[in-house]
Amino acid sequence: MKLALKLLIRDWRGGELTLLLAALIIAVGTVTTITLFVDRLQQALLLESASFIAADRVISASRPIETALLARADEYNLQRSATVSFLSMVFSDERAQLAAVKAVDDGYPLRGQLIIADEPFGSGRPTGAGPQPGSVWMESRLFPSLDTRPGASVDVGALTLPIAEVLLKEPDRGGGFDTVAPRVIMHLSDVDRTEIIQPGSRVTYRYLFSGDEGNLKAWEDSVRPDLPEDTRLYGVKEGAEEIGEALSKAERFLLLGGLLGVILAGVAIALAANRYAHRHFDHVAILKTLGATPARIDQIYLVIFIGLGLAATLIGAALGLIVQAGVAEVLRPLLPVALPAPTMKPVLLGLTTGMVCLLSFALPPLLTLRNADPVRVIRRDLDTANPSSLVAYGFGGLGTFGLMWWYSQDLRLTVLLFIGGLVAVLILGLLALLLVRSGRQVGLQAGSAWRLAVAGLQRRQLESALQILAFGLALMLLLTLFLVRTSLLSEWRNQIPADAPNHFAMNILPEERGEIRAFLDVAKVTVTPEYPMIRGRITALNGVAVAELTRADGGERGAPRLSSTRNLTATAALPKDNKILSGAWFSPASQVSEVSVEAEFAKSNGLKLGDMLVFEIEGRTLSAEVTSVRSVAWDNLQPNFYLIFSPSMLIDFPSTFMTSFFLDADQKALLSPLLRQFPTMTVLEVDALIEQIRTIVAQVTLAVEFMLVLILMSGAMVLLASIQASLDERMKQFVILRTLGASNQLVRSSLALEFAVLGAFAGLLAALGAELTVYGLEREIFDLDYTPTPWLWALGPILGAGLISVIGMLATRRVLDQSPVAVLRDLA
Amino acid sequence: MIKTNDVCKVVETSEGALVILEGITLEINQGESVAIVGASGSGKTTLLSLLAGLDSPSEGTIVLGGDQDITMMSEAQRAKLRGEMVGFVFQTFQLLSSLTALENVMLPGELRSDPQAEDNAKKLLDRVGLGHRLQHYPRQLSGGEQQRVAIARAFASNPKILFADEPTGNLDAKTGAKIIDLLFDLNADFGTTLVLVTHDARLASRCERSILIEAGQLVSEVLETSAATA
Repeated sequence: MKLALKLLIRDWRGGELTLLLAALIIAVGTVTTITLFVDRLQQALLLESASFIAADRVISASRPIETALLARADEYNLQRSATVSFLSMVFSDERAQLAAVKAVDDGYPLRGQLIIADEPFGSGRPTGAGPQPGSVWMESRLFPSLDTRPGASVDVGALTLPIAEVLLKEPDRGGGFDTVAPRVIMHLSDVDRTEIIQPGSRVTYRYLFSGDEGNLKAWEDSVRPDLPEDTRLYGVKEGAEEIGEALSKAERFLLLGGLLGVILAGVAIALAANRYAHRHFDHVAILKTLGATPARIDQIYLVIFIGLGLAATLIGAALGLIVQAGVAEVLRPLLPVALPAPTMKPVLLGLTTGMVCLLSFALPPLLTLRNADPVRVIRRDLDTANPSSLVAYGFGGLGTFGLMWWYSQDLRLTVLLFIGGLVAVLILGLLALLLVRSGRQVGLQAGSAWRLAVAGLQRRQLESALQILAFGLALMLLLTLFLVRTSLLSEWRNQIPADAPNHFAMNILPEERGEIRAFLDVAKVTVTPEYPMIRGRITALNGVAVAELTRADGGERGAPRLSSTRNLTATAALPKDNKILSGAWFSPASQVSEVSVEAEFAKSNGLKLGDMLVFEIEGRTLSAEVTSVRSVAWDNLQPNFYLIFSPSMLIDFPSTFMTSFFLDADQKALLSPLLRQFPTMTVLEVDALIEQIRTIVAQVTLAVEFMLVLILMSGAMVLLASIQASLDERMKQFVILRTLGASNQLVRSSLALEFAVLGAFAGLLAALGAELTVYGLEREIFDLDYTPTPWLWALGPILGAGLISVIGMLATRRVLDQSPVAVLRDLA
Repeated sequence: MIKTNDVCKVVETSEGALVILEGITLEINQGESVAIVGASGSGKTTLLSLLAGLDSPSEGTIVLGGDQDITMMSEAQRAKLRGEMVGFVFQTFQLLSSLTALENVMLPGELRSDPQAEDNAKKLLDRVGLGHRLQHYPRQLSGGEQQRVAIARAFASNPKILFADEPTGNLDAKTGAKIIDLLFDLNADFGTTLVLVTHDARLASRCERSILIEAGQLVSEVLETSAATA
C-alpha cells in the first residue's frame, strides 16, 4: 500500500500520469460541467416554460373538481390556484362584444407574470397577481371595440365592474385560435354574482399546481387514477405545443451531447491508460525481477488506480463546479432568466461517471500489467505485449452501454447509438486498414518526405489503422453533433422567422376586405393572403351519423374529435408548412367537392381517402370527399386548419375572412384606430407569445452551443491522447532518421505529412460515419428532415488533416528540438 | 548454489520448433564467479534468464540455493525467490525512469517492506560513488552512472546470487573497466555468487570460471582462460 502510493506519487512527479490524469479530469469535469449547467438551464427553462401554462401542472375540466381531490396537492407541498373560463358578452354604454372571460383567484399565476398597462396598446409593466375582487382587466383591443377607456365600467352578466387595468399579456394565453375572443380577467369570487354560469353553460375549469418536480410527479401518480373521465392533466410539454417540441428536441440533443461526451472521455481514458500500461510493462518486468509477485503487481496498480481515480474525480468534479459557475457568470447578461442554484445531483453524476469510466476504460489495461513477462528485461527483442484484450474491450463496451443507458434512461436510444457505434467501429476500422494499405501506392511515387511518412504508416499498419479509427470516431462524433445542432437551430429559426406575422385579424366581413387591406397598405404593413373562415361541424361519415360512430382511437384524451365545431376554410394553395402525406392537393380547376384532412385528425377518427363527409355549416349541409391527408406544423404560429375545402366550396356560404400581418412595437398604435374603424373585426396579438418563444429558443440554443464547445474540448483531448499514445514509437523512428543524418526539416515534414495523412483518412471516415449517423438520428430521434451535406466530404479530410497535424506537431515540437541522445534517454 | 540438469528450451516459431538450449547440465558453487560466453544467438542470455527464474525451461530442472527447484514453481513463487535470493544487473540498466537514483535503489527493500530501505540505499549509492546524485533521474545520469545505480540496486536486496547480463555492453572501455572493478569489489564484499553473460574477454577473465555455449549446447567449462571469448 505504502509502496503503491509512493509509486503513484513518483509516477506523477515523473510525468507518467499527466496524460491519464488529464484525460480523467477532463472526462469527469466535462460531464459534471455539462450536467450541472444543463441541469440549471433545464430548471430555468422549465420555470420559464411553465409560464406558458402559468403553472407546472394543470388539470383542465368541464366541471368543477371535488375539493378533497384538489386538496391532495397540499400533502405534496404543492401550491395551487384555480381559474374559470367562459365566453360571455361584455357591454359598455355604447357597444357589446363577445369576450373570453377568465376568473382567477389570488394565487394566479403560479408561474410567469401578467403584463398590464395604463392605456390600451401602451407600454406594460409586470405584476404577479390578477385583478382585485370587484374590478376587471381588459385586453387592449376590447377598448376600441367597446369604445371605452380604462376607469370606465363594463357589464359582465349581471355585474357591473370598473376596468382597473389594461391587460397586455397573460402567461397561459397560448397561441391557439380557439381563444380568439378578446380577454377579460376578473376575480374568481365575483363569478357567482355575474349569474352567467348556469347548468349546461360551457365553462372550463383549470386547476393550476406548482412545486418541486419530484413532488409533482408523485402527486400526479396519486391523482391521475381518481380524475373524472373528461378531465385532462398536463404539464408544459403537453400544454404548450408551440414550445413543447423545441424543448423535447433540445433535451434530446443535450442528452445526446452528454452521451457523446462520456464516450469521447472514455476513449481518451482508454487511450491514456493503454499508453500508461504500455510504458509500464517494462517497469513491471523490472519489479518482477526484483521480487514483486503478480498479486503484488495487482495490488500496486489497484492502489494507483484508486488513488488516481479519487484524485481525478474530485478534481474533475470541483473543476466542473467552477467552470459551470464561471460560464453561468459570463452568460448571465445574455440569459433572459436567472439560473436556479445548482443541485448536488449532477456532481454525484460526474463523480460516478468518473469512477465508471475508470473501471471500464482504465482498469482493464492496468490489470493486464500483471502478465508482463520478467524476461523482457534481458530479451528486448520480445514483442511489446499489448495490454488490450477482449476482456478490456468487453469492460469498455459494458461500461459505455451502462453509462449511456443511465444517462438517457432510454433503452431505444442507447441500443440505437451503441449498435450503430459498434458497426461504425468495425466498418471504419476495416476501411482504415484498407486506406493505410492503399497509401503505399501513392507514397512510393512521391518525394522523400512523403515516402518516409507513408513508410511510417505502413510499418505500424495496425496501430495506424487504430489511430485513424480513434481520430475518425472523435471527428465523427464532433461532426455529428455539429450537424444535428445546425439542423435543430435552423429548424427553430425557421419556425419563427424575424418577420413572421405576429397579429391575426379574424371575422373580417367580405365587404370590408378591401378597406382593411387599404388601411394596412397605407401604414406600410404587409398582409398575408386571406382565408375564408366559417364555423361548422361534421355530422356524418360515409352515410353514418357521427353520433353513432365509435372513435378509431377509443376516445384518446386530447385527440381532435370528429364531431366538434371547427373553423373551416377553403383555399386553392396548400398553406405554408403543410405537407400532403397521401392523396393529392386540389387541382386548380377543381369543381368537385373535396376536403383535405389533417393527419392526426384523420388517424384518431379513422378517416381515409375516399371517405364522404357531411358538414353542417350555418344550418345547411354540405358533402365533400376526402382527397388528401396533410401534416400540419402546429407550432409555426400560422393559421392552421384541420379541414380545408376545395376553393369553390364555400363561395355560397356567408363566411368571414382571416389574415395575418407583422407589426413592430412602433406600429402597435395602429390597432386602436383599426379596431375603432372596423369594430366587428377581431385582432389576435401573438407578438408577446412570439417574444416568449424566442426567449426560450434563445436559451435552448445557448445550451446547445455550450454543449458543443464542451464536447469539442473532449474531442481535442481524445486526439491529444491518441497522438501521445503513439509518440514513443514515432520518436524512436525520429532518432534513427536523425542519427542517419536526416535533416530536421525532412523529419519535420515527414512527421507533419504522416499526421496529415492520418488526419485526412480519419476525416474521410468521419464524414462517412457522420453522414450515416446524422441520417439515423435526425430521422429516428429528432424527427427532422434529413438533407445530405456534400461539403462534409471535403471538410472532413481537410479538418482532419489540419487538426491532427497541428496537434501532432505541437505535441512533438519540444522533442524534435532535442538531440537524438536526449530523446533516447527519455524513452529509455 | 545453482544446479541444472538436462535443461532444454524450445520455442515454437512459424517455421516449427526452434531449439535454443539443449541438455545443459552444470553446477555453480556458492561464492563462485562464472562467466557464460558464446557467440551472438548461441543461447547464453536464454540460459541466464532460465538460471535466474525469469523464464521456464521446456525440460530439465534448475535448483537454486541447494533445495529450491525453480522449475516446479509458479511465477509468484519464483518472484518471491528472486526477491529473497537474486540480484540483477542488465546491459540496458533497466532503471525505472520515473524514479530517482535513490528511489530505484530503495525499490527492492520497499518491496520487502524493509524499514531500512532508504538508509541501505543511501549507503550503497555512496559505496558506488553516487552519494551526491541521489535525487537525479536516470535520464540525468551518464551510462556509467546509471549502471552504478543498477549495481547498487542489485546489491540492495543482499542477494545470494547476482546475475549480470552484459553489464558493460553499453559502456565505453574506460567506464566499463570501472564498472567491472566495482562489480567484483561489491561481489567480494557481499560474498555473492556471480553469474554473468558477456562478450568482453577482460570481464570473463575476471571470473573464476567460464562456460562456453555454442548453438544452444554447453561446449566446455573452462577455468579462468582468455579463450572464453567467441
